This record gives sequence, structure tokens and C-alpha cells, in this order.
Amino acid sequence: MDQTLDRRRLLATAALGGVVTATGLGSLAPEAAFAAEATTVEPGAPDPNFAEGRIGKITGNMLLVTGSDTVLHSIRITDGTSIWKLHPTTFDRVAVGDGLYARGVRLPDGTLAADAVWVNIVNLHAHIAAVGRNVLHLDHKGRRIVAHVVPDRSAAVYNGTPAVSDMSLLRVGRHVQVLGAWHPDTNEIDIATVYAAA
Amino acid sequence: MIEMIAALQPLVVGAVLIWSARVKLFSRHAAAAADRSALVPILGQRRALPAYRLLGGVELTLGALLLLPPVLRLEAVAAAVLAAGFLAYLTYARRAAPASSCGCLSASPTPVSGRSLARAGLLLMAGGLAASATGGWPAALAGRPVAAMAVLLAEVAAVVALSPELDQGWLLPLRRLRARLTHPLRGGSGVPLLATVQQLQLSDAYRRVAPLLRSDVREHWDDGDWRFVGQAARYQGRPVTAVFAVPLADPQPDAVRVAVVDDATGHALLSLAGTPAPAGPRLSVVPA
Repeated sequence: MDQTLDRRRLLATAALGGVVTATGLGSLAPEAAFAAEATTVEPGAPDPNFAEGRIGKITGNMLLVTGSDTVLHSIRITDGTSIWKLHPTTFDRVAVGDGLYARGVRLPDGTLAADAVWVNIVNLHAHIAAVGRNVLHLDHKGRRIVAHVVPDRSAAVYNGTPAVSDMSLLRVGRHVQVLGAWHPDTNEIDIATVYAAA
Repeated sequence: MIEMIAALQPLVVGAVLIWSARVKLFSRHAAAAADRSALVPILGQRRALPAYRLLGGVELTLGALLLLPPVLRLEAVAAAVLAAGFLAYLTYARRAAPASSCGCLSASPTPVSGRSLARAGLLLMAGGLAASATGGWPAALAGRPVAAMAVLLAEVAAVVALSPELDQGWLLPLRRLRARLTHPLRGGSGVPLLATVQQLQLSDAYRRVAPLLRSDVREHWDDGDWRFVGQAARYQGRPVTAVFAVPLADPQPDAVRVAVVDDATGHALLSLAGTPAPAGPRLSVVPA
């Protein structure tokens, strides 16, 4: 815990401190970086640097994931991997049975060294069938989905304006797009962001 | 009592059949409704619409026969057989083509649900009851008008309640009213993380370091008036952390600052303060 605090203090000081010029860094212009990274994915071929599926096993920092096309993926979580499960979280919150999307770099041995992992992420277009206390009942292609509003986590974007915490402009019967975290093997999700017209 | 109820059933069944036929025969969206229905997997694309129209014709004829005198037992039996057919068709549609639409009382896409099945069951019961009636519905209505009206209203209410197509007219307004009275989604305060991320992604600081970034948001914390957002990055093969400082009170992207810190040494490799908006004349772009 102290380590985290020290690290955060260091990072905060760096961010708010004096301007350090980037003389030693070379060019930071976007075009310089993009010129260096040629894309290697054939059109129509699966992206080798992406994996999705359900976690079957967790060993150390390795995840064994079965893709929806039954392909097995070994995914390595590194110190630099970001893990999202409704919000940025840590590796110990990832469980067997969770679904995931992972993006990273495919190593020569076939494992994917993950840069970012999104656990149980779902993206739904639905209609609000009913609302309850901190819950939306969504009609998604005729099936009912219970979407929980998580206080201090869930955000709403109305008409494409900056995100706010206020969900009270959501209306029964309206169309919404919901990004959220699925509760595995249920019809329930936690809402990360709901996009709606207001 | 049961005799009176039985005598009223042709009126209810006839009205529902005519309402149902109206969609199939006269709606502008009948072709689309037929396309979405389970008739397509059963009969094929080409025959779905003629079959849908034909069913509408049968419904209209039978509905009219039930409503108009004379009262014939055969009409009620035919209606019961038709309702049994609906029940079988809906059961099949629900199993074999769950994505298909009911196409029953409205052209709007409505998946086959337990309520649609219950409605077909209700029609079947009403048809069966009507077959046991001895008198006509005008006589039953004239004999005990209050009780008859109550029975009719109850049955119509049951049909409406079992019709997902009609929810738009009564159930959703009721739910909207309840939400307006109880405010179940009230509360929610503070700046959500997404707002911070949206702000920093619009900033000049983010544009400058974006090519280095490797991960999504790894950590974030609030300290005083600032929110800090850390993302893993890579520079010249070294793992570094890009930490953005975003003011909580100022939504302007210009106020975002960033530092790139070497993970091994803890040294800041780069630090950029927010760039204030240029003071000089600005080029304003006006849409043509």
C-alpha cells in the first residue's frame, strides 16, 4: 500500500511539476510513430494481436482462454497490462469463467502478451422496458436484461455530450446503447456507460 | 351465469379475429411483418406473404360470421380450431425460430413470448366455450346488460394485457408515470472516469504522447483538485508510464498535463503542461 502511495506521489509530482523538454525523446509527432509501425494483418485474416473468449484456467500470470470459435489462447498478464472489469482494476479480480477481450503482442511461442484486457465487457443496443431503483430492465431483441446502475462507477452520455453521473434523464421506452460488465452466466450486467438521447 | 358468458364469447373472439385480420390485410407494413414471422422458415420466403394474407382473409371471414347472426355452433368450432392452430404455430415458432416476430395483432416486431401463447390459449378456451352456447350474444347482452358488459370488459382487458404489441399504449406510459413519481434513477454525483478520459483524449498533451501508449487506463486516483490517470507506454524499448493530470473542476482539454516516467528509474522523461488557447486571431470555420 505504501509502495502504491509512493509511486502515485512520484507520478503526480512528475505530471504537475516543471516542463521537461523532450530533447532526448526524439520526435513525438504522431506521424513519426505511425510510420514506424507497419500493419502486418492481412485484410480478412484474424488479427493476431487480439483474443477473446472465456477464461478456463488461471496459472500464475497466464490465462488460458477458450475463444467463441473454440480456439485456445494463452494470454500473459504483464506489469504493464491494463485490466478493465467495469472499471480499471487489478489481476486478482479476474476469475475463472469470466469472458474477456484482450489486445497485445503475439509472442513467437504463440502466447499473447496483453497490453489491455477487458473482462466481461458487453456492448448492447436495447430499449428500456422498465426502470427500478438503480436498475434498468432492458429489452434486447425480445430478451430481458437486468442492467444495474453502480453508484460512483456508471456514467451516462446524453446526445454525445461529456459523460455525467446523472442517470435520471433515461426514459422508459427509449433506445439506449450500454457498455457494461456481464455477470457470467446470467442475464445481468453492471452499467459502465449508457448512451442515450435526452 | 356460465350460459351468459358462453353466449358472449363469439363477440370477443370475433372482435379479436377482425382486429388481427386488419393488420394482415390492410396494414402498409404487412409484407414486412410476414417477412419477420415464422412463416418464412415454414413455407419459404415466396409463400410467406400470400399465406399471411390468406390467414387474414380467413380471420376476417370467421370474425364477421361470429359477430353477425345467425348463431351457428360450427362457427365457434371453427374459431376454436383456428385458435388451436395459432397455439401450435406459436409454440413451433418459439422453439424453431425464436428470433422471428409474432405478426399477430400488430405489424411491429414482437418476439413470441409466453404472453402470446397465453393469449392464444385464452382464445382457444373462448372458442370452446362459445361452442357450448345455446343463445346468441345480442340476447345475452340484452338480458343482463351490466353483468355482460363487466364480462366483456374483463375479457378485453385480459387480451390487451396478454398482447406485448399493445404495451406501447398502456404499460410503458404507466411505467413512465411511476418513474416520474418515484425518481428511481436519482442520485449520481461527481465526475465519472469516462468524463476525465474524454477530456484528456481531446487534449494536446494526449495527442503528443498517444503513439507511445500501449494499454488502456491502468489506474486512476484523485488528489485535491486533480485526477490522475496512468497508462502503460513504451519508449525506445523501455517500459514507461504516461500519467495525465486532469483538473476536476475545469472541463477544458487545454488544462490537461502529462508526464512520461521511466518505470525502472522513476525519472520523468517528458512533462508537458497544458497549452493555453492561442490569444491571436482564430480561424473560424463556418459550415457551408
